[in-house]
Amino acid sequence: MIEKVIERVKELLEGGEIKGFVGLCNKNGHTAPYLFTEVAELDHLVVGDFQNPGDARYPLNKLLIDLYRAYPEEKFGVLVRGCDERGLNDLYVWNQLTPKNVVAVGIPCPQELADACGCPKPYPDNSVAEPIAEGAEAQDLIRMEALGVKERFTQWMEVFSKCIKCYGCRDICPMCFCKECSLELDELIPRGEMPPEIPIFHLVRAVHMAGRCIDCGLCNEACPVDIPLRTLYKKVGDIVYRKFNYRPGFDKGKSPLNVLENK
Amino acid sequence: MEFKTVLTVCPYCGCGCNFYLEVLDGKVIGTIPCKTSPVNEGKLCIKGWNVHEFIQDPDRLTMPLIRENGSFREAGWDEALDLVASKLKKIKEQHGPDSIGLFASAKITNEENYVIQKFARAVIGTNNVDHCARL
Amino acid sequence: MTNSVDEFELSDCIFITGSNTTSSHPIVATRILRAKKKGAKIIVADPRRVHIADLADLYVSHRLGTDVALLNGIMYVILDKGWENRAFIEERTEGFEEFEKVIKDYPPEKVAEITGVAEKDIETIAHWYATAERGSIAYCMGITQHTTGVDNVKTLANLAMLTGHIGREGTGVNPLRGQNNVQGACDMGGLPNVYPGYQPVTQFQIKEKFESAWGAQLSDKVGLTIPEMTSGLLEGSMKAVYIVGENPLLSDPDASHVEEALKRAELVVVQDIFMTPTAELAHVILPAACFAEKDGTVTNTERRVMRTRKALDPPGEAKTDWEIIADLSNRMGYPMDYSSAEEIMREIASLTPSYGGITYERLEGEGLQWPCPTKDHPGTRFLHKDRFVRGKGLFHAIEFKPPAESTDDEFPLWLTTGRLYFHFHTGTMTRKSGALTGEIDEQYVELNPEDASQLGISTGDEILLTSRRGQIRAKALVTDRMKKGEVFASFHFVESNANILTNPAFDPIVKIPEYKVCAVRVEKAAS
Repeated sequence: MIEKVIERVKELLEGGEIKGFVGLCNKNGHTAPYLFTEVAELDHLVVGDFQNPGDARYPLNKLLIDLYRAYPEEKFGVLVRGCDERGLNDLYVWNQLTPKNVVAVGIPCPQELADACGCPKPYPDNSVAEPIAEGAEAQDLIRMEALGVKERFTQWMEVFSKCIKCYGCRDICPMCFCKECSLELDELIPRGEMPPEIPIFHLVRAVHMAGRCIDCGLCNEACPVDIPLRTLYKKVGDIVYRKFNYRPGFDKGKSPLNVLENK
Repeated sequence: MEFKTVLTVCPYCGCGCNFYLEVLDGKVIGTIPCKTSPVNEGKLCIKGWNVHEFIQDPDRLTMPLIRENGSFREAGWDEALDLVASKLKKIKEQHGPDSIGLFASAKITNEENYVIQKFARAVIGTNNVDHCARL
Repeated sequence: MTNSVDEFELSDCIFITGSNTTSSHPIVATRILRAKKKGAKIIVADPRRVHIADLADLYVSHRLGTDVALLNGIMYVILDKGWENRAFIEERTEGFEEFEKVIKDYPPEKVAEITGVAEKDIETIAHWYATAERGSIAYCMGITQHTTGVDNVKTLANLAMLTGHIGREGTGVNPLRGQNNVQGACDMGGLPNVYPGYQPVTQFQIKEKFESAWGAQLSDKVGLTIPEMTSGLLEGSMKAVYIVGENPLLSDPDASHVEEALKRAELVVVQDIFMTPTAELAHVILPAACFAEKDGTVTNTERRVMRTRKALDPPGEAKTDWEIIADLSNRMGYPMDYSSAEEIMREIASLTPSYGGITYERLEGEGLQWPCPTKDHPGTRFLHKDRFVRGKGLFHAIEFKPPAESTDDEFPLWLTTGRLYFHFHTGTMTRKSGALTGEIDEQYVELNPEDASQLGISTGDEILLTSRRGQIRAKALVTDRMKKGEVFASFHFVESNANILTNPAFDPIVKIPEYKVCAVRVEKAAS
């Protein structure tokens, strides 16, 4: 698979189609998010399977947004999995990127990773290879829903009480791009308190993930106290899907919760 | 256009979290926790996540400064270091090496701490070297 | 730390004391909370009900400065119930008999009276920790910053040896180091009594080794600690200080006294990245590169040596600390012609046995944990596996001693100091960050609701906090995280510096100041 990615990126770089490729690189004995601008560097390209499948994934679309903001005329390639591609689709909708500036180079995820993520579509449409896994159900959500209301509430309050207000869930999120963040509004959540007021801190963020979360799971992996944030955001995504028949990144058109005007 | 991600260690507490500094055209624009670090496994606290904010602060010291008539004036390295060297030499001659002390630092590298204690011991001739381990 | 951070996940009982872990070492807390999820018992003993106390299985709030009494009480119960590890005591330790005699004086009822901790809680801690398969201790400055700091640490070591919870994975006595390279600064001989690798300056062969390596005459007289240098400046025996990356005006106890000392010096050189309050008093200020602008290594709390890498050029004329010192050294007639940090590391490895196997090449990936004596040594995950450094582990017979200062009618409350989650040390770096100052950027003195109501103080009120050394103005934060009679202030904020108040009384052995206990008075400020 890596060979196919390298081949495709080489083609894009050599043909001058892209200025650079936002991918992952084997560097300093680690897997690093990296901008490839030379073909010679591609020997070090990896797809983010450090010790286990997908254990070294990074919010590459977020890096892409940084580059796009600085160089709006340039075109960049980016490594995507199924979730990342959904992210791109949605970032186009929110006017954070434009398709003409982006070439997605996709890879499918293996079944092990798809199952662990409970991912409905573990492969991108623009892919260097055929899908190798089928969509999986979100077992975490199913398990949580099976509990009674009281027990669910207790469990959530218990995990929220561990929060250290690092904002890592937001900072790692490839779909968080607002200049002003509700989590920093003193009127909503008093600032300077650790732990932050619960459950309001987490619910404010959950509400903002509705119609936006592409279920990549990077928030879960960034949380220093192992709060199952992904499960929470899956739930709000589930509600939006049932009420509005809209799933971010899957469905064309705007999120029903997007109040921004089109440019 | 130059875009780099540079792996380094957080300058704050002793956890020693690893992260990438995101550098675009000579400006540090972000911090990304290193997921393959055995220490922090892709996690950071709020201080780590925002470490890029102080690095290029306009208040950073950029020139040697010498006190003159109660205020500071900018100076070149030659002037500043020659002044320090001559004063240290004079004090050492007049009052002995143990009248001089060095504060090493828990916030600089091993190599730098090594060089500072070597300077105290081999150049000044004193073991008066300590840092804020206790603070 | 004797053990590695990830080993907390293997413990089935973790005893945390004097550490606000989720706040000051959040990423260590990650592992502790994972251990809890796997079923480990978490015990927190701290005068303040810190965040991790909320998450613990048992929390006890002992009075400030009563750590030895509490720990001796726990060990009394362990011995009384026969939960001690006899095999470990016999094979690996000495001094047990003397120690046991002292412990006999600390029955739970007496300890409860000294510490304010209920007898049954003392018994529960003893039970959980002693009968655990792998018990681990995590502590921080709440243990060390006392006139009895050394006693406190030795008492924790007694507890680990008594139960055999040391020298195995998931056990140990684990100090959480507070600054990113405080471990390395100690390892590198940034201390008045030792060369790199803790080789004593007083030992003839060691001195000879460094004299021949460095080509210089060296002193075998133990040097002065920072508080002693401050006193030396005041007395006049010290004339010059060269301060690299430190801000003693905020970080040292009794700040007014430090300010006076620096003003009396003939020469104060400050090498730093910002104009700190200490730099304001310097004769010469030298601009240094910050962490992101240089190559090098730092050593974290678990003795892991890791690479830092240059991401940017330093601003303006600023240079790395080693370049500045080397340049100065050359001007003073002692050539230091290092071409890179890596070259310095080669010299360190050649003179420091515990760093002997460390090279930049080997540090790629996970880094290396010292001791790493040779190029093929894999590094050391946990210490004291089959023997202690001195051979047998020595029990110390330690009696409880009260803090240096007492409360009285004029100063009826106890003040304890520390860090907030959102800031670091003297705030020179974190107060430049909008994300952090947006959270909090001023001093809030925390006090108990009962004390607050007696004083007529509510959250947000301006108050005056006064000790026998000085006074600061701050806002009040009324919180049940403090118990009656105790207040808390941080030392991040120069305009309301808690170290104007703290007591410059030191542990007699390691000279650590008693930041954690001094007597104060709180009153509402006239508006």
